[in-house]
Amino acid sequence: MNYNLSFTRNIVLVYLLLSYFQFAAAHHSSAMFDKTDIRTSSATIKEFQWANPHVWIQVYIINSDQMREEWSIEGIGINTLFRRGWRPNSFVAGDLIQISFNPMLDGTNAGAFIGAKFEDGKILGKWEHIKK
Amino acid sequence: MKIKIHILFLPSYILMNCLLIFLCSTAIAQDIKILPDWSGIWERYEGNGGMFDIATTQPPDGRAGNPGVRQFPPLTKFWEKKYKQNLELVARDRLPDPISICGTPAGYPRLLALPDVYEFIIREEKTWIITENGPNIMRIYTDGRTLPEINERWPTYTGESVGTWDQEVLVFTTVSMIGEKNTVLDRSGLTLSDQAEISTRLFQNEEGLLRAELSIIDPIALTEPWKVIRHFRKLPPGTRIFDYACAENNRNPVTSSGKTLTLGPDGNPIDINFD
Repeated sequence: MNYNLSFTRNIVLVYLLLSYFQFAAAHHSSAMFDKTDIRTSSATIKEFQWANPHVWIQVYIINSDQMREEWSIEGIGINTLFRRGWRPNSFVAGDLIQISFNPMLDGTNAGAFIGAKFEDGKILGKWEHIKK
Repeated sequence: MKIKIHILFLPSYILMNCLLIFLCSTAIAQDIKILPDWSGIWERYEGNGGMFDIATTQPPDGRAGNPGVRQFPPLTKFWEKKYKQNLELVARDRLPDPISICGTPAGYPRLLALPDVYEFIIREEKTWIITENGPNIMRIYTDGRTLPEINERWPTYTGESVGTWDQEVLVFTTVSMIGEKNTVLDRSGLTLSDQAEISTRLFQNEEGLLRAELSIIDPIALTEPWKVIRHFRKLPPGTRIFDYACAENNRNPVTSSGKTLTLGPDGNPIDINFD
């Protein structure tokens, strides 16, 4: 599921999201991510790496050729995430989710985590920006 | 007769002892009383992605590491040139931020602008500032010692700090910081030289925020004292603080050219172009 947002709207949303999420301030710059592009896709959790300096959510996403691809979605560190309600089992292999992220500028299969919505409606991160 | 004298002086003797005990305990109590309670867990109040001097950051909502975002300390021409060189590296995603290597501390004064949380531990003879991120440990001696002699110190990440308590204000001086050799103040690439000297006043203000007022002098980097203010807010009771091992699962190594890579789950770079 993809949403095409206008460029201006993206800029405003990304600013608001970054104000909240402060991605990657802990360890490295976020220069490799396209902060003007927000992608939202259906995904299946392959693995959740609960570790510092960043969590990594390994997911399978079906591409436009109906082929399954693995993507690496990077979040911030686990200490702050824990204090925001995340837990080591927040994502379990096989979970079906909607995931939202800023993709890599170079087009490779990775991105900066923005938010996730589970089948039961649970949300982690930011989701208000997703069109209902 | 001897017994009579002893009996006569006994009440005075007891009274004197009581008075002595009272005076001693009062003195001790006053010593303890003047040390403020900064217990609990704190976090930085100012964000901006870690920009160090929010007051002079342009644009005001600019985040450290974003191209074009900078601050305006009173830099010498020589140091302004260096800063601009680093700003150009930021624009090309080539600023080598030392803490991205996962091996060295952020150092002082950058440790006042880190994400994650803080502890401020006070004892009469020493105060510790502990940052979860890094981690960093800053030691400020208040036991009356003076700064080490020149030939007994060398540049380190947090330098050498000595201070005193002025009522509930911790006033301290920090010297011997490693400066541009292996620290930056933030991801915009701002640095100081290893000749910097920082005077800091740290206290809890009326709003309950911890307020750090810094006056930085640096004969090489600055034309005049640079005043910087940072705040910290206290988090709710019960907030937990954890280990932070930067190298635990670092999938963003930095190349020799300063580019931050992204590793896939197999440990190989997934970036298309890197050097």
